[in-house]
Amino acid sequence: MSVVVDSLAFRYPAAGAGLDGVSLDVAPGEFCAVIGPSGCGKSTLLKLIAGFLSPAAGRIRIAGTDMTGVPPRLRNLGIVFQNYALFPHMTALENVAYPLKLRGVGRAERLSRAGQALERTRLSGLADRYPRQLSGGQQQRVALARALVFAPGALLLDEPLSALDAAHRAAMRDEIRAVQREHGIATLHVTHDQEEALSIADKVAVMRDGALLQLASPQELYDRPADRFVAGFVGHANLFDGTVRGPDLVETAIGPLACATGGLPAGTAVTLLARPEAVRTDPPDGTVNCFTGTLVRDRFLGSLRRYDLAVPGGTILGETLSRGDIRSVQIPPGCLRILPA
Amino acid sequence: MPIVTALYLLYLAAPIALLAIGSVGQSWTNSLLPSGLTAGWYGQLWSDASFRRAFTVSLTVCAATCAVTALIGVPLAYAIYGASRRGVRAAARVLFLLPVAAPPLVLGFGFILVFSSDSLPFLGSGWLLVAGHVVSTLPYLMQALVADMRHLDLVTLETAAESLGAGFRQRLFGIVIPSLRQSLSSGLIMVAALSIGEFQLSNLIAGFLSRPYPVVLLQAFYGATGFACAGTMLLLLLAVLSALASASAGRGLPSRKGTPS
Repeated sequence: MSVVVDSLAFRYPAAGAGLDGVSLDVAPGEFCAVIGPSGCGKSTLLKLIAGFLSPAAGRIRIAGTDMTGVPPRLRNLGIVFQNYALFPHMTALENVAYPLKLRGVGRAERLSRAGQALERTRLSGLADRYPRQLSGGQQQRVALARALVFAPGALLLDEPLSALDAAHRAAMRDEIRAVQREHGIATLHVTHDQEEALSIADKVAVMRDGALLQLASPQELYDRPADRFVAGFVGHANLFDGTVRGPDLVETAIGPLACATGGLPAGTAVTLLARPEAVRTDPPDGTVNCFTGTLVRDRFLGSLRRYDLAVPGGTILGETLSRGDIRSVQIPPGCLRILPA
Repeated sequence: MPIVTALYLLYLAAPIALLAIGSVGQSWTNSLLPSGLTAGWYGQLWSDASFRRAFTVSLTVCAATCAVTALIGVPLAYAIYGASRRGVRAAARVLFLLPVAAPPLVLGFGFILVFSSDSLPFLGSGWLLVAGHVVSTLPYLMQALVADMRHLDLVTLETAAESLGAGFRQRLFGIVIPSLRQSLSSGLIMVAALSIGEFQLSNLIAGFLSRPYPVVLLQAFYGATGFACAGTMLLLLLAVLSALASASAGRGLPSRKGTPS
């Protein structure tokens, strides 16, 4: 079952912010993450799909049925909320059984199905505990079991990992993905954490100011961002403003950079993108795009080292495995990508 | 710090202890403690028809006040909590806190003016007494409920229930009221305690046959000290019993620790 959003528009009366003609589709079994800075409209998109807000324009189809204007309770969507929204007066088992009770499933069957759902999320031993007696990760798993127990048409995740600490977040990320794969359900995951989105999703939608900037696979998003904002928002990036000076040459503040300009005429304003892991340290003399400078920041991150090399006209951000001194770097021409200015 | 706490607790407990001692003392005139031991004052209290009637009136008014405040308080608190505009929320808060800010005398005179006219001749009736107690105790229940709704993030709980397929009635009786069980229970304890001890307003608007216990108790202070002490001890007992009854009534709401549903 799929989720299709077509030209969805919405505007908050007071704030003026909202959503401007957003279209995206999540195929059956697909995991789509929506990322963007605060106020970009990602939560609004989720509320519109869930039915908590009514769009000014556009259509929402869930599992092939037009759900625009249908009340939330009839949309058959499983939703995991940021704070989990577990009912405090019900045990874990009662929480998971609740949607089945609403659907008129008999007591014995719903308890059995809720028990199985808890078992799948490795919580069968905690079925009789109340939410306040569970850890954040355990509450998260109960919320996930509750959202999936009634075989919903799609799964919506509203920043469900933001309340967890870093150690639990990574583990829960994998667990959510495993459960989602097991159910083969179309999933829309709203998050502000781009690393989380890249690691968990089949495709990622990047939003800004109510508009969808790019919808692509994590690899494509990282390697071929649509514009400067996406390049800067997804991962670390060196972004140099420049002007095409001739065939395969761009003039920037740090100096001329050789790169494929794709036949752009001289004088075209562009932005050059170089990912920090592409920057090479201590290149041999005479190579192109070489820069000598002073190390101004050096961060040891365990598996790698991230540094800022101040060069005339700017700073180059690089990543390396080397522990030695860094005086000069090279940005290989093949690793530079031209973006619209 | 422990010494200050101990002194404060002593300060709180001393009058109650003296009342308890006085209620079983035979004679207490110009001395630190009474002389002699008797249970006669309690006997006299029980044999006095006006005290017995007042006792019943107080319990009835208290039960009715608790029921009415619960019926009004939950939807009203929910409306205030759910009001989207800050101005509406602020205005509602001022309105429901007004009876706390206004002296009971003001409220009492207002009741006398309104309900002693020919068109509304209800002054002295039991129901008017209940209405007066509801007005003066409702803010305390509302405070507890609205604070709990905010603490629970009730809107999100309702949203979650709705997304799972719950209609309005299912959300109200399956999620909202059971979630508020503790604050409703503690709020009703306060309502019961306040209603049982309420004197100023009751003294102004109660009829001769609907006088609650504190109003009748005032008479006891014109008589023997032992009788007054016994009467006051009974009021204390009445307040504790009412609070316990309202607390257990609150717990009787849809189960918070029930069997899997």
